[in-house]
Amino acid sequence: MSDDSVPLSLPLLRLAAGGSEVTSLYRELRKPLLRYLVCLGLSRDEAQDVMHDAFVSLQQHLALNGAQDNIRGWLFRVAHNQARNRQTSYHRRFAESLDAEMQFLSDDASPEQHVLEKEKLHRLAMAMRALEKSERECLLLRAGGLRYREIGEVLGMATSTVGDTVERAIRKLAKECSS
Amino acid sequence: MCDAENNLVAWLDGELPVEQAASVERHVSVCEECRGRIAVFRRVSESVDLYCGAVTAANARPRVPRWAKPVLAFGAAAAIVLFVVVPRNSVPPPPVLTPTIADASTIARNSAATISAAETSPHTAKLRGTIHQRPHVGSAVNAETSKWQPNESAVQIAIPADAVFPPGAMPKGLNFVAELSIAPDGSVRQVRLRQ
Repeated sequence: MSDDSVPLSLPLLRLAAGGSEVTSLYRELRKPLLRYLVCLGLSRDEAQDVMHDAFVSLQQHLALNGAQDNIRGWLFRVAHNQARNRQTSYHRRFAESLDAEMQFLSDDASPEQHVLEKEKLHRLAMAMRALEKSERECLLLRAGGLRYREIGEVLGMATSTVGDTVERAIRKLAKECSS
Repeated sequence: MCDAENNLVAWLDGELPVEQAASVERHVSVCEECRGRIAVFRRVSESVDLYCGAVTAANARPRVPRWAKPVLAFGAAAAIVLFVVVPRNSVPPPPVLTPTIADASTIARNSAATISAAETSPHTAKLRGTIHQRPHVGSAVNAETSKWQPNESAVQIAIPADAVFPPGAMPKGLNFVAELSIAPDGSVRQVRLRQ
């Protein structure tokens, strides 16, 4: 596996200069990070809290001249660890049915399309739930745009292990959704 | 089983080193089975993105408490039942102003005074001589209303035609009888005028 990561749009050397760079990072990473936290099982409010705490930590990290070679992985790792500290809501939300959450799908679609999309996503949700925790987290981080090396840093795994885990998870989902 | 099969997702994600990626690419170009697998993996990856977007968007909406739906449904059903069951005419009609006995007496006194003045007027006497008898328009009304019987004791007041119509407009000696239906509280409930 290659260890290259997607470069951020800002030169990292400028990050410690002030808060405006953190603000730019916030604009860039806010949505994928929030989406990851919500998909982990946090409520919207909990995800917002965790995200803001993570960005505050990032600002302190940069102010103390911390490592800047993988800011995105660092930020996701901090947020991921804070989300794990909220284990109660994490498991409660994963145990809930996703039916209610998917009521909004395809408001403009025909009833047949609505049923098909809902059925498709329901099967996918069930398959996601059946995955191992590491497989699910790898897939969610991958969907957030993180490279394998960044995922490995967030989850504390080797890059090659991330590759194997993602491959295995995708195959499981393909099998479940096509059967 | 192909040698490149275990690296297809990493190849899709652009995670393979350059040499290994080139090898997989060469294999995929000649292996139809792997091309099919790649199409499936790509669809699954898109579905995972869709799933993440769906969960995030659903969480952005305010959640309706579980108890709210049955309560709202019950309220709507109750409103419909009330609308259907409760009669619309339960609201009392607006009061109809009817003349009282005192009003009727005053009218009768004024009418008598007018009649006596008209009978003594020479102008009225002259007109009466030229007027022909015409069928009274009130006769048809009388036929329709002849079946009416007041429920309560009625007071009858004789009213000369000249007291109601302009002098000379009606034949001389034509009188009307006003029947007043009296309500228990003493007010006039209904006034019927007949010839």
